[in-house]
Amino acid sequence: MTAPRRHFHEELRTIEQQLVLMAGMAERAVGRAVDALVRNDIALAAEVVADDQLIDEKYLLIHEKWLETMALQTPVAIDLRLMSSVLHLLVTLERMGDQATNIAKIVKSIEGHAREPVILEHLREMGDLVQPMVRTAMEAFVQRDFALALRVPEMDEPVNRLNRSMTNDVARCAPDQEVLEWAVPMLMVSRALERVGDQAVDIAEQVAFLLTGEFQEFTRPDTESYDH
Amino acid sequence: MAADDRGIVIAPAGVPGSVEETGPVTHAMETVDMSVSYGSFRAVKNVSLQFRDHQITALIGPSGCGKSTVLRAFNRMNDLIPTSRVEGRVLFHGADIYEESVDPVEVRRRVGMVFQKPNPFPKSIYDNVAWGAKVNGYKGNMDDLVEQSLRQAALWDEVDDKLDQSGLSLSGGQQQRLCIARTIAVKPEIILMDEPTSALDPIATLRIEELIQELKQRYTIIIVTHNMQQAARASDFTAFLNMDQDRAGRVIEFEATAELFTRPAKKETEDYITGRFG
Repeated sequence: MTAPRRHFHEELRTIEQQLVLMAGMAERAVGRAVDALVRNDIALAAEVVADDQLIDEKYLLIHEKWLETMALQTPVAIDLRLMSSVLHLLVTLERMGDQATNIAKIVKSIEGHAREPVILEHLREMGDLVQPMVRTAMEAFVQRDFALALRVPEMDEPVNRLNRSMTNDVARCAPDQEVLEWAVPMLMVSRALERVGDQAVDIAEQVAFLLTGEFQEFTRPDTESYDH
Repeated sequence: MAADDRGIVIAPAGVPGSVEETGPVTHAMETVDMSVSYGSFRAVKNVSLQFRDHQITALIGPSGCGKSTVLRAFNRMNDLIPTSRVEGRVLFHGADIYEESVDPVEVRRRVGMVFQKPNPFPKSIYDNVAWGAKVNGYKGNMDDLVEQSLRQAALWDEVDDKLDQSGLSLSGGQQQRLCIARTIAVKPEIILMDEPTSALDPIATLRIEELIQELKQRYTIIIVTHNMQQAARASDFTAFLNMDQDRAGRVIEFEATAELFTRPAKKETEDYITGRFG
């Protein structure tokens, strides 16, 4: 006997697959934006900015399908929780793409300035840390793996530490006005990468919600250096 | 909450905004380890449910799981089937309605029933509503009773100028509301509804669902529906029944409706309501 809602569940799988593709696009955009910064590659930065439209188009495509499915299929129980999580992830991933765009725009705005290698190294390190966080969170989502989701907030700790130390990194540039002008926008890059880490944690929290039906805050607010 | 291995269920925890916030929880109807058999076939077994006053409880489950059998046990409608047998207890305000001293006609007056297909008598709209009260020797003002019952059934404004016309002249949705008015007229405390909208179009269905919400201010309502979305829209609590391997129906889960449709405790419930079975 065929399961009575086979067509609907195939639609859910299609939406989920599209979301995974979008996560890959957003995560790669972050990586490319950091690459553009580290290599001072203005052309690559311009590409990241332009490609954000592709992420936005994917957002609209999935959102349209999401609305249609909600209207026509009235999901319940785990299907309803999946749809709720999908909407949350959709918004989170679109904003992740925006963070990549912000970094890429900063790269273009500081073209030609003298750079400070320690700051660049720290930002590269943050980029290397947040990308696996996004991949891990999405893998936990796809595999419905609660234990894997719980690893994401642990991965976020070094990102937060590097972000907190960035103010001192920039302050050390104060004696050299030209370097300082380059360094101050790096606070925004650091902040953007720290947000990407938080967004990965948000995705992991949605995995927990999907699996348990209870929303759990993985990161205590008092562990953050400031509100976001 | 979920049923235990014997299908025993006690009342689920509270629902925000429900009666327990303003007073103690009371139950109009309760079954204790109830089983119903037809001859040698046990149709439902070990059903223990508590139905809160002035709340709407939906019974859902696949065809043949015994949800209508459970409903009919609440006003001794199964008595009309000679081979039927009810075990366990069915308590109406704490008293067992299957005690020998209990008059089944009185039970059916206090526990009214609305059926799947609208079944008005081939009489005038007025007589349809007044009939039960007349049979019960109602001594009050019959005109007032008819008007009040039709108003409560949200039908008065549509029929006040044609009370002498046949009940059969009304549309399907109006006929079902007429049947609800007829049920209300004998002043029951509980209204049982057995798939009351399955023969109606979507608009008439939504009107009945809206009406049920209004009726719960005055009555306790237990509704059997094969339409899960209707249970989700229209009820405060939902009991999910399913068949065991011996084909006897039993309660799998009984919970506040919002909880059951977002976080069912039992996989069997989840598989059924999400269509992941077969």
